[in-house]
Amino acid sequence: MTPISFALAHSLPEVVLAVGALALLMLGVFRARDGRDWIISECAIAVLGLAFLLLFVGAGPKVVVFDGAFIDDAYGRYMKGLALIGSIVTLLLSLDYMRREKIDLFEFPVLVILATLGMLMLISAQTLISLYLGLELMSLALYVIAAFHRDNVRASEAGLKYFALGALSSGMLLYGASLLYGFAGTVSLQGIAAAINGKANIGVIFGLVFMLAGLSFKMSVVPFHMWTPDVYEGAPTPVTAFFASAAKMAAVAITMRLVVTAFPGVTDQWRQILIFVSILSMALGAFAAIGQTNIKRLMAYSSIGHMGFALVGLAAGTEQGVQGVLVYLSIYLTMTLGTFAAILSMRVGDVYVEKISDLAGLSRTNGTMALFLSAMMLSLAGIPPLAGFFAKWYVFNAAIQAHLYPLAVIGVLMSVVACFYYLRIVKVIYFDEPAPGFERASPAVTAVLIVASLLVVFFSFWPGPLDVAAAAAAKSLF
Amino acid sequence: MNVAAVFFYLFSAIMLASAFMVIAAKNPVHSVLFLILAFVNASGLFLLMGAEFLAMILVVVYVGAVAVLFLFVVMMLDVDFAELKQGFLQYLPLGSVIGIVVAIELLLVMVGFTQSDAALGAGASPIQANVSNTEALGLVLYTKYVYLFQASGLVLLTAMIGAIVLTLRHKPDVKRQVIADQNARTRADAIEIKKAPSRAGV
Amino acid sequence: MQIGLTHYLSVAAILFTLGVLGIILNRKNIIIILMSVEMILLSVNINLVTFSTFLGDLTGQVFSLFILTVAAAEAAIGLAILVTYYRNRGSIAVEDINMMKG
Repeated sequence: MTPISFALAHSLPEVVLAVGALALLMLGVFRARDGRDWIISECAIAVLGLAFLLLFVGAGPKVVVFDGAFIDDAYGRYMKGLALIGSIVTLLLSLDYMRREKIDLFEFPVLVILATLGMLMLISAQTLISLYLGLELMSLALYVIAAFHRDNVRASEAGLKYFALGALSSGMLLYGASLLYGFAGTVSLQGIAAAINGKANIGVIFGLVFMLAGLSFKMSVVPFHMWTPDVYEGAPTPVTAFFASAAKMAAVAITMRLVVTAFPGVTDQWRQILIFVSILSMALGAFAAIGQTNIKRLMAYSSIGHMGFALVGLAAGTEQGVQGVLVYLSIYLTMTLGTFAAILSMRVGDVYVEKISDLAGLSRTNGTMALFLSAMMLSLAGIPPLAGFFAKWYVFNAAIQAHLYPLAVIGVLMSVVACFYYLRIVKVIYFDEPAPGFERASPAVTAVLIVASLLVVFFSFWPGPLDVAAAAAAKSLF
Repeated sequence: MNVAAVFFYLFSAIMLASAFMVIAAKNPVHSVLFLILAFVNASGLFLLMGAEFLAMILVVVYVGAVAVLFLFVVMMLDVDFAELKQGFLQYLPLGSVIGIVVAIELLLVMVGFTQSDAALGAGASPIQANVSNTEALGLVLYTKYVYLFQASGLVLLTAMIGAIVLTLRHKPDVKRQVIADQNARTRADAIEIKKAPSRAGV
Repeated sequence: MQIGLTHYLSVAAILFTLGVLGIILNRKNIIIILMSVEMILLSVNINLVTFSTFLGDLTGQVFSLFILTVAAAEAAIGLAILVTYYRNRGSIAVEDINMMKG
């Protein structure tokens, strides 16, 4: 039995977020005027930033604390870093938007912190129970912020859809978890791996399938993607950015941890499932996005496709594959946040617009934004030498090393198809007749767009640090 | 058949029948009442298995709180029940086919379910014969599982914030009780003495 | 006849199927969907308590306790979102959730 101080020292970011959420809630309840968000968002950014800095404190070999429920390792720290970046940028993007839409309640940043705390607990989960609780803490907060614009019928419809399907998916995940517990007699992921010991049993396979189905919903991959376009369109735009960035990071992180830690003995089975899911997601992401007119819906299909590409690396099932997924997720995070910063700059008068046709002729009304947004689109399409190309290169390379040639070939074909709709947006920006110009975006939004674009454009000159960090993180998972 | 078997079949049969009625009933109020019946019978199953604390919690939390919350919302929403009355049965043929196939598949898995050789004794907190169920849960809940206990506290906090932020509305024309204002009232603000001239009418 | 692991697991499996069917088939009323979710969670709880008893291990019951807690929170959030939706839309029929398509 380790002392509690030791356990707390290894979960410092989580402790900071939990205490920070409670403190900010108190501050909001007793000090905010009319429930308006006064400086709570700024404080929340500071709390999340502090948690991010604490990730660099006391890094070492992997440690399991809280009686096997929580693991502190390099992999967890890497993914927590990505999730925290997603949350911080979401709050930066939300500052101006929430005020203009008159939904700047102080509960929003508090719920974002609680959702992030759930993500961190999920990423570090080492038993089925802590996995479930982390997942639910994240999901419950996400259900609420999806419906946060409570007087808007589309937002509450988005929240309702997300809730109904999300509750079903966590039920399926739990049913799988109960079968695994029954088989192994323990909820610890390592205990399950020890109990399986290379012998696949029909109960274990059912448990695995149910758990992967539940997690697929959270990652929004085919065939559990139905909610994604509607929720992305209906939810307030900064919330959509949060769903597309931080929430995806946590869901993919725990999927990788689950299959690698608990199911090394049945790799062939989960690899088949992941290959199937990955191919379908890449195909749907490529074809369904073509006819879209709303840019948030387009980003929803784009995110489904990108999750498919990321899972190619995981399907390889090797350390190199996991490293590929980590690099892919980091670059995907940058591109997504940059694109959403651009979407949040699309404001005509007092109205935020979200049609692709509203971007027409942007090169003539706002040349700088046109350049940055085009860089994002070309990178999402995976055109060299932008960062998106390297992301795809990493995962396809891992798939080829693992002798998954058909998967790699299909992946490359699908990314060619997907190029079409990204290039169409670039064409609309540069060659169509100008639509009314946009108002000046807030400094925070502009800064996010500029930083993300610079990272995407200049990644190829300096890929070393990310590569090294991802390699170390992937090594600690195995 | 022994008594335990009789009760097992009684509880399971009633539970499954009322679970079916939850999704088949035309009136949502009836659905909620059948849900309560299902939960009470599930709690009976828990008792048969010796999980006494969970059996009681199921009745207290589910029947006492969650089901009543459902009932409250069903009645508060003032939905036109006549309109909702058709519906379920038109999908019944297809639904029953799908349902029977899924159920048979799951049942086959359950019948063939075997536990790993290491499963017995692999658990982190074995049940001891001389400690009552409630005490045994209490002994581990706040020590071994304190992290999870705190996490579930945060989940409940999130639910509370969420429910309040989504549904609470401050109506400007509703007069609320402010204790401080009531206490700060003096005789001078509260009453005014008017001199009415006598025998002059009002 | 002895009542064993299989009996309890089968009851839970049927309950799980009913819950999933309730979600998939229901076209009229969202509250029924929320109740079906509660039934799915109940079937999981029966599974866990069964395993806990037959393995002689308390962990399953602890897991079940946490699921009960979270399920209550989930029901509260679900109903809150439902009330918000009803205020905006004036209906809780599943067929009416179709503002966004594509």
